[in-house]
Amino acid sequence: MSTTLLPEDRAFDSHKSTRSREMKRYGFFPGCVAKESCKELFNSTMLLADKLGIELIELTAASCCGASVVNDVNRDVARVLNARTYAQAEALGLDDVITICSTCTGHMRAANKELLESEERMNQANSILGKFGAKYNGGVMVRHLLWLLIDDIGLDNLRSMVVRPLNGLKVAPFYGCHIIRPENVNGWESARNPHSLEDVIEALGGEAVDYAGKTRCCGFHIQLEKDNVAANMVGQNMRMAKDHGAEAVITPCPLCHLALDGYQQDSASRWGRTDLPTFHLPQLVAFALGVAPEKLGLNKHLIDPRTVMVQRDLIS
Amino acid sequence: MANIKLDIFRFDEATDTIPHRDVVEVDIPETITVLDALEHAKAEVDGSISFRRSCRSAICGSCSMNINGVTSLACKTNCKDVMDEDGSIQVDPMPNFQPMKDLVVHMDPFWDKYARLKPYLQPKDKDSDHERERRVSPDDMKKLVDVANCIMCATCYALCPVVSVDPAFAGPAAIAYAYRFIEDVRDSKRDERIAQISEDYLWLCAHCYACSYCPKHVDPNWRIVDVKRAAIKDRVLMNERGPRHALVVAKTIKQTGMLAETEVIQGTIGRFNIKGLVKITFLGAALGMRMALKGKMPPPFIKPIPKVDEVRTIFESLEVPVS
Ligand code: SF4
Ligand code: SF4
Ligand code: SF4
Ligand code: SF4
Ligand code: FES
Repeated sequence: MSTTLLPEDRAFDSHKSTRSREMKRYGFFPGCVAKESCKELFNSTMLLADKLGIELIELTAASCCGASVVNDVNRDVARVLNARTYAQAEALGLDDVITICSTCTGHMRAANKELLESEERMNQANSILGKFGAKYNGGVMVRHLLWLLIDDIGLDNLRSMVVRPLNGLKVAPFYGCHIIRPENVNGWESARNPHSLEDVIEALGGEAVDYAGKTRCCGFHIQLEKDNVAANMVGQNMRMAKDHGAEAVITPCPLCHLALDGYQQDSASRWGRTDLPTFHLPQLVAFALGVAPEKLGLNKHLIDPRTVMVQRDLIS
Repeated sequence: MANIKLDIFRFDEATDTIPHRDVVEVDIPETITVLDALEHAKAEVDGSISFRRSCRSAICGSCSMNINGVTSLACKTNCKDVMDEDGSIQVDPMPNFQPMKDLVVHMDPFWDKYARLKPYLQPKDKDSDHERERRVSPDDMKKLVDVANCIMCATCYALCPVVSVDPAFAGPAAIAYAYRFIEDVRDSKRDERIAQISEDYLWLCAHCYACSYCPKHVDPNWRIVDVKRAAIKDRVLMNERGPRHALVVAKTIKQTGMLAETEVIQGTIGRFNIKGLVKITFLGAALGMRMALKGKMPPPFIKPIPKVDEVRTIFESLEVPVS
């Protein structure tokens, strides 16, 4: 099956190259969850940036991206909130905004696409931003750290930086939704046959596990809506990963992480015990690149990843 | 040498307890569709292979199936785009449905979800009150043309991960079809329809965009958001968790610039709804305790971001409802 995107499926901004890339200074949007329940993600990302020799400049006055939820209330507000964030990046001379959350990536890119493709919407946003003296000129590109690793650092380079190879640890990539779908918003790789996480896992010396659940939803956004639905979605996907030999999971999204790490215990009654530890993408990369494991917040996970790391002689 | 090898799911509910697979080789140009290849296999090799089709041109909605694990219309999928190097193509019945025979599935649950919508126009007045047809302005019609393209192929329903674990969920196609009447200016049952589809778990859509692969570009995922906005605008079923969740998220962002996780959880379940708070898995003894023990609970209060008044200006300029 073809794995590359057809030209018409490519993202609206895939032709863009940025200044940040040469300067290795990036605007950084950590998102709320990396600052609230998943602080270990934020910390690991900063430690990883040091190892990679890049500077992540946090947009500290940025607001929440609105997730998928604010759209349910009003069709414009998320777009304008994100335009405010992009204006702040531009004012700092940063044209690349890096995220570490799939949901942020998808929704911030969707907002940017709407702004760049419609003069009317850009004008609407700027007329509101104008009330407090801000303006967005359309010069920002939003990317996930995963794409930065592959596009700007490069897999060969990454491979050569590994000091603690993963010893063939069998890792199941969990893409979830918003970093790949909708394809005309993300468009960085095929949503039906992505392989960026596999490529990273292999560059780190792990073995990527293939399973159908890797591009399915974890149910995070409906965990409060009806009991057990999200837990069942997690169980279904983790069952598939486990049956294909996974020892651990890696995800680019802290929301996926909360669901996968939190709900496997609750899904065991229907799907059997899976108990797969779930790494945040930057945690595992930082580990392989030599960041001390104690600094990665691995003890914050409900399913402790250190057990399998000991089994694999990765830590003692 | 045969150039296409169809690896077909075979099952007959009348006689089989477990399915098996047959590989059927057909010698035809690889530029034809998967449906043509199946027709060929049926005509030339094995007449018992069963699948649904009619129009052969993505109009009737009969031929959706899993092709190499991807749910799509067989008549809209070219063999050369999906076959492996050795020419093999796996075909399976749509997931989320009970198989009947080979690629034919029981569609009843899908139709039942439509039937519950009363999927016909219910105007205020009688047809006889009108001398001619009811006129609709081009602008009002524009909202409906995309959903009217739905061919009821159930591709989206088969792809939906929520349907796969909870068959009570209406699913993408039925919600998109509810939108078609909710936004129709001639219809008189707007709020009843919103209430009905809310009862069928409108708010259980997980925003996963799997249904964005609709072959007719109905984009049910966006129509679901439209129906939710209609529910909030008309204030239908405001005590349900879904709309409360959306509003409390909006409120915390307006107040702090951030999504305040703790307040969102309490606001969604109801701060004084002790039973609800205990029952919900997220805060229920199990997960809540587990997270607290790991120091993983979100902070109870969020410090507002710098220049949060700008965020409030945005909310006020757009008159965003937050309660
Ligand atoms: S989508 Fe989620 S993580 Fe991203 S900014 Fe919004 S609330 Fe935070
Ligand atoms: S898998 Fe869940 S949390 Fe992750 S992106 Fe999809 S809906 Fe969001
Ligand atoms: S919405 Fe699209 S995928 Fe779903 S039934 Fe209609 S045409 Fe098929
Ligand atoms: S977006 Fe909603 S309706 Fe569509 S497939 Fe996902 S959960 Fe189902
Ligand atoms: S045969 Fe009619 S849609 Fe494929």
